[in-house]
Amino acid sequence: MEATLDSLLLGFLVAFRPDVLLYAFLGCLVGTLVGMLPGIGPLAGISILLPVTYGLDATKAIVMLAGIYYGSQYGGSTTSILMRIPGEAASVMTCIDGYAMAQKGRAGAALCIAAVGSFIAGTLGVVLLTVVAPPLASFALRFGPPEYTALLVLGLIFLAYMSSTSLVRTLLMASFGLLLGMIGIDVLTGHFRYSFDIPELGDGIGIVPVAVGLFGLGEILSTPSNTVTEKVVSPRLRELWPTGTEWRDSAMPIARGSLLGFLIGIVPGSAHIISSFLSYALEKRLSKTPEEFGNGAVAGVAGPESANNAASTGAFVPMLALGLPTGPVTAVLMAALLIHGVPPGPSLVSEHPDVFWGFIASMYVGNLMLLALNLPLVGLFVSVLRIPYAYLYPLIIMFCILGVYEVNHSVVDVWIMLIMGVVGYGLRKFGFDPAPLVLGLVIAPIFEMSLRQSLIMSNGSWWIFFNVNERPIAAALLALCALLLVLATRSLIRSRKDWRNKLAEAEEGS
Amino acid sequence: MILRRDHIAGVAFVAAGALIYVFSGDLPWGSLAMPGAGMMPKLVLGLMITFGLALLARGSASPPLSDIDWSDRSHALCLIIAAALATALYTTLGFVLTMSLLLLGLTAVVERRPLIPSLAFSVGTALVAFLLFSWLLKSPLPRGPFGFL
Repeated sequence: MEATLDSLLLGFLVAFRPDVLLYAFLGCLVGTLVGMLPGIGPLAGISILLPVTYGLDATKAIVMLAGIYYGSQYGGSTTSILMRIPGEAASVMTCIDGYAMAQKGRAGAALCIAAVGSFIAGTLGVVLLTVVAPPLASFALRFGPPEYTALLVLGLIFLAYMSSTSLVRTLLMASFGLLLGMIGIDVLTGHFRYSFDIPELGDGIGIVPVAVGLFGLGEILSTPSNTVTEKVVSPRLRELWPTGTEWRDSAMPIARGSLLGFLIGIVPGSAHIISSFLSYALEKRLSKTPEEFGNGAVAGVAGPESANNAASTGAFVPMLALGLPTGPVTAVLMAALLIHGVPPGPSLVSEHPDVFWGFIASMYVGNLMLLALNLPLVGLFVSVLRIPYAYLYPLIIMFCILGVYEVNHSVVDVWIMLIMGVVGYGLRKFGFDPAPLVLGLVIAPIFEMSLRQSLIMSNGSWWIFFNVNERPIAAALLALCALLLVLATRSLIRSRKDWRNKLAEAEEGS
Repeated sequence: MILRRDHIAGVAFVAAGALIYVFSGDLPWGSLAMPGAGMMPKLVLGLMITFGLALLARGSASPPLSDIDWSDRSHALCLIIAAALATALYTTLGFVLTMSLLLLGLTAVVERRPLIPSLAFSVGTALVAFLLFSWLLKSPLPRGPFGFL
């Protein structure tokens, strides 16, 4: 523990450097805006701004990009409460009671509770991340190719199990993503795969064009300007302070949401969305007045907002400690670290302690910045929402093209983004969630390499994955996969509605 | 029989999987002890076709195809055409000119906003973005026939 505190102190020395503070602030500011604006989520925001970080060192780059991620969780609540539009998918649940509170003239209190809840959850999440990530990273140093293969299979199955769409649809999307990830030169044999004599495809398909296409352009294609309202009420500063009862009613939901969110954040999937839904369901079940939910219950804002912030922090645990993304956003953040020559994973703590601890310390600071930004300046942020969508979406398209082109200075990447935009539009129409596709694309090279290395190690025997004596970790992980598949099959056979169906309905309803 | 959403999606994925499998003919499978470049793609294609078939089999539980709301299709089509034209012209005309035309086309033509404000917005935004990226962030953007922009 003492070593952890010493390392954290080193991190604070990095995080308090004026230049790092500046980039943390920029990330938080941009993240708040990205979370608020419809048609652009954290994934598209981070992807578009990724090229901007090329001139920076790894610490500043990851501090800024992560600031966009957790900042967007704060920003998403503003549009949910004031306009009933979830600027960010994780804010869907906040729309219900947050907007109802606004209708009752309690918009300021709802915004304050959302911001304070987000701050407490974010900070608690970072404390847990500080404690959990380093020992997990040292444990993961024992992992070889079979363990990584089993872990990735578990990740995919967990993702499918937690999905609000369906097991089959999620696995189908993940397979599609894995397939896209196999385009390019095979690193073991030098064969060109599906590159159709296009030299740029030799290096494979980048995550940025795919992510920006699916989540940036795809979202804008399915959002005509006449469907976006520009009416917004700006709360006054003195209306922001909640009453004593509102504080009391929100205390326990914030505590429960923080813990629940962090735990869900660690597992693969759209954790911040799932956590906010589960927190809402939990608070409704525990409430003495469940009939207030939907009509402006404070707990309906405090719980989900805390949960989605804690989940976004929890998602950093497997990314930093194991080098595994739990969702598309952490996948892009991983790509950002790789671009800067810093491979995330078990060796990150020992080989790049300044990046690891600087990043963690900057999250403590970033959460404070976000609280300061989101409360007194809410009126200023709200004025951004008054920009007509007819001017806003062309701007986003311009930044999509600009951002994607700047990654490799390749027009082929921009064409890939356009194609993925159309694919994303089509997938949405047919009820597919594109997130597993991006995850599949990112893990494809690691998955293929670890599977092939495992088979080479075992001279072609699949038994290497199930041998309890020699590979207990891999066997345990695969046993967990089997358990999840059994549970998923059971719910398929029973066809009974569970929380995943309710989450899908809530997402559609938003 | 009512054609449903998952029937179409399932058929599309099975057909795409089969087509890509045909393209994968020249990729060697190798052996389990020494997997070739084609093993993993073919395994994944197998999974994709299997899940596509599963989707097809459970298709009757999905909403009818006619329930899909395509009211945004003209908006989507306009945007795709505009973005494709901008991409095609990007390196030839340069950033400022291409983006000014893209923004003007989307605001004035697609969104029918007044011409003068749209023009000011388009040129102004493209110039600011160019200055921000090219000069301040030192990230080179394509320059057009006029050289300096």
